[in-house]
Amino acid sequence: MRESHFQEHNRFFLNMGPQHPSTHGVLLIVLEMDGEYVLDPQPVLGFIHRMHEKMGESRPCQGFMPNTARMDYVCALPYNHGYVSLIEKKAGIEVPKRAEYIRVITSELNRVASHLLWLGAYLLDLGAFTPILYGFDDREHILDILEDVTGSRLTYCYYRFGGVYQDIDDKFVEATRAFIKRLRKRYDIYEKLVTKNIIFIKRAENIGIIAPDMAIRYGITGPNLRGSGIAYDIRKNEPYSVYPEFDFEVPVGERGDCLDRYMVRVREMEQSLRIIEQALDNLPDGPVRSKVPKKIKLTPGDCNFAVEAARGELSYYLVGDGTGVPYRLKIRVPSYSNLSCLPELGQGILLPDLVSIMGSLDLVIPEIDR
Amino acid sequence: MNQTYEDFKNNVLNLGVDVTETDFNQRGYHLEIVLTLNTIREFAQKAYAHGFYLVFVTGFHVLPQETEGGKTSGLEVVYQFAKYDRLFRVKARVSVSEDMTVPSICHIYHGANWHERETHDFYGIMFSDHPNLEPLLLCEEDRDYHPLLKEEKKLKSFEAVSWPAESPDMADIETQTSSDL
Amino acid sequence: MEIISTLPPELIRMVFAAIIIISFIFLNAVMMGYLERKIAGHVQRRPGPMEVGFHGILQLVVDGVKLVAKELLIPVNVDRTLFRLAPILSFTPVILPLLVIPFSEKLQARDLNLGLLFIVSMTSINVMALLVGGWGSNNKYSMFGAMRAVAQSIAYEIPILLSMLAVILMANTFSLKEIVGAQQKIWFILLQPLAFIIYIISGIAETNRAPFDLPEAESELTAGFHTEYSGMGFSLFFLGEYTNMFTVASVATVLFLGGWHGPSLPYGEYLGIVWFFLKVYFLLFFMIMIRWTYPRVRFDQLLNFAWKYLVPFSLANILITAVVVKL
Repeated sequence: MRESHFQEHNRFFLNMGPQHPSTHGVLLIVLEMDGEYVLDPQPVLGFIHRMHEKMGESRPCQGFMPNTARMDYVCALPYNHGYVSLIEKKAGIEVPKRAEYIRVITSELNRVASHLLWLGAYLLDLGAFTPILYGFDDREHILDILEDVTGSRLTYCYYRFGGVYQDIDDKFVEATRAFIKRLRKRYDIYEKLVTKNIIFIKRAENIGIIAPDMAIRYGITGPNLRGSGIAYDIRKNEPYSVYPEFDFEVPVGERGDCLDRYMVRVREMEQSLRIIEQALDNLPDGPVRSKVPKKIKLTPGDCNFAVEAARGELSYYLVGDGTGVPYRLKIRVPSYSNLSCLPELGQGILLPDLVSIMGSLDLVIPEIDR
Repeated sequence: MNQTYEDFKNNVLNLGVDVTETDFNQRGYHLEIVLTLNTIREFAQKAYAHGFYLVFVTGFHVLPQETEGGKTSGLEVVYQFAKYDRLFRVKARVSVSEDMTVPSICHIYHGANWHERETHDFYGIMFSDHPNLEPLLLCEEDRDYHPLLKEEKKLKSFEAVSWPAESPDMADIETQTSSDL
Repeated sequence: MEIISTLPPELIRMVFAAIIIISFIFLNAVMMGYLERKIAGHVQRRPGPMEVGFHGILQLVVDGVKLVAKELLIPVNVDRTLFRLAPILSFTPVILPLLVIPFSEKLQARDLNLGLLFIVSMTSINVMALLVGGWGSNNKYSMFGAMRAVAQSIAYEIPILLSMLAVILMANTFSLKEIVGAQQKIWFILLQPLAFIIYIISGIAETNRAPFDLPEAESELTAGFHTEYSGMGFSLFFLGEYTNMFTVASVATVLFLGGWHGPSLPYGEYLGIVWFFLKVYFLLFFMIMIRWTYPRVRFDQLLNFAWKYLVPFSLANILITAVVVKL
């Protein structure tokens, strides 16, 4: 933006949030503005900070499991996944193959649910009321499927060290297959209603461009990064669990604008469905939990474990001291780094564009605040 | 491993810092680099030039040690870097001196701004040249309270919480963890 | 009875008409509120209001009671006069256009020979209400809403007037009754399709309906100009909005859709109102469907669209119309 247009005496501050419809949670952004132009957006965090890291360091590692689902409540299973995998690595616990398959299936279902919710919420930010209810409609099916097997609808605590809480049954497999069929039929509706909508394209195209260099400087990961054309997906680059056994693609964008981020997420849903299908086809038999000692001992030394959550790279960094309580547990959440680029992305743009950019970054505030 | 890996390692070794190759299957990162306060920025610059992105910055609290230079603060800053184009994770750490000040790298990695503010919140470590070292996740009133500093009786020595140097049972753990994957 | 017979009959007629129109406005708002919710519900694959009465038909009555019973909050530091004036200013002027609209051949409160101009001038007052409300609220979001309302209203008033002008050129009159009369044989929508499209687009913008609902853009400005209003203050704005929609649709019916004309009915000079209302509510249904389908445009896109597309096209349309009529 041409800086000279903005005069010093015209500037004023606008508090966007913590109670604002498009901050999607209790996030405050202090905007320095000139008319409708945003000059300097500064996020203010910490409204729902709960100090999960301290909780992780002050109780035996089993006790932290429920916490993992309460950071990113929209896509909680990958958070479960990262934590159990890390502890298993640290304590040397074997996981049956069937359990890993179930983990992948449920994690990917959760990812689809998260992307569906995001799609609706983003369109709501742009002023379209209807897609969010279509998204909720489809997501509801996933939540029902997951509820049957995990016992909860949102804050899952399904994985256990050495396996999962309970085995999936035929009903689960049938319902999942039916859902995959259903969602593929619904792509048409989404395409007609959203993807080809001229107003939507005009609102998202060439807005909030994240250049590859900017991604490096801020540590942006996940679909936000892939929208910029960098095919970085932990499931491919740093394979964990049984992901190497599946055939799937990493969709990327070209320009790195809001539209690319949208397209990447939409195409990722299809890839997740492909993974689920393959996993259901090749689901091995066997137990879903291995024998785990009652008192888990974490070997001394540090260890890092990264997984691909719906919003990007989630890293658990743990330092053990030989007891069952982690000596240090650092949780690297994707949205924290993704949001930190907002002050640079949001310079000299219009307020509606800032709303569009924030929506396209797919922020979940409890995850940022931890 | 490959060209990039060796290149980066040699490049960093030029700085005169300790570089240890680690077992990725065991620890989840490839290189452990022990920096000194003077080499942090140079290292960050090199990492940036090699296309690394910043995964996180955090603190680490152990029992202070007596060294020939005097007593350390027991605090460490831990950095983790990774690459987008290939699997390559690097952990760098630096121990904080008595004056609790570490050079900030947020002018090289802009994303470090928030990570350093968070570390300041949780550990009270100061980052020199940081543009805005205000509380980020904690509230203004808790400015002097640093929740992740451990109580004295819970502090452990650095040796007690690090991987033992080559020992017979290490091999055990290695085979276990790799079969896990 | 003595006194009434001394009053001029025209005055009695007007008072009578005004009472009917005011009660109709409330009825219309209730119907529109119900329709909007029901249609939105079905568009979004849910039933909409279902609890109060048969298929939730009494929902709006219950809502009305709630809104009336609600406390009128007046925040500190607002300009109290302006703050209270705005809802009234938004509601009152929108009643008046209905006085000159010919619902059927005989059902018209008053046939002004400058009826169309009267309607245009009355509906323009509405934007004053938004400005006053937004300014008086002493809230930055409200202020944004008010500023947007003014800019938007100026931008869209022009294409509306220009598209009306094309019809006036053809009918050669400003009287609404005569304009309808001129469509006895063929509706103007067939002769002036471009003007109709421009009028409908601008009309949606003029009534601040999605996708042009920028003054109250929820996801950007929380609620825009009516952020600080509660209870009846808030509902008066909505009465105003729905009545405005009705006016825009009525004028479109009069100008383009042949007003009360339709297959002949017994007592045609009165029952033409059936056709009139069918056409009006079809247009309103269309506007509601648009609202629940499209995302919101950005502010500069909205203004660009008005100045770069609608105004030139309507000017060209007038030019062609004038030439053709002259020939």
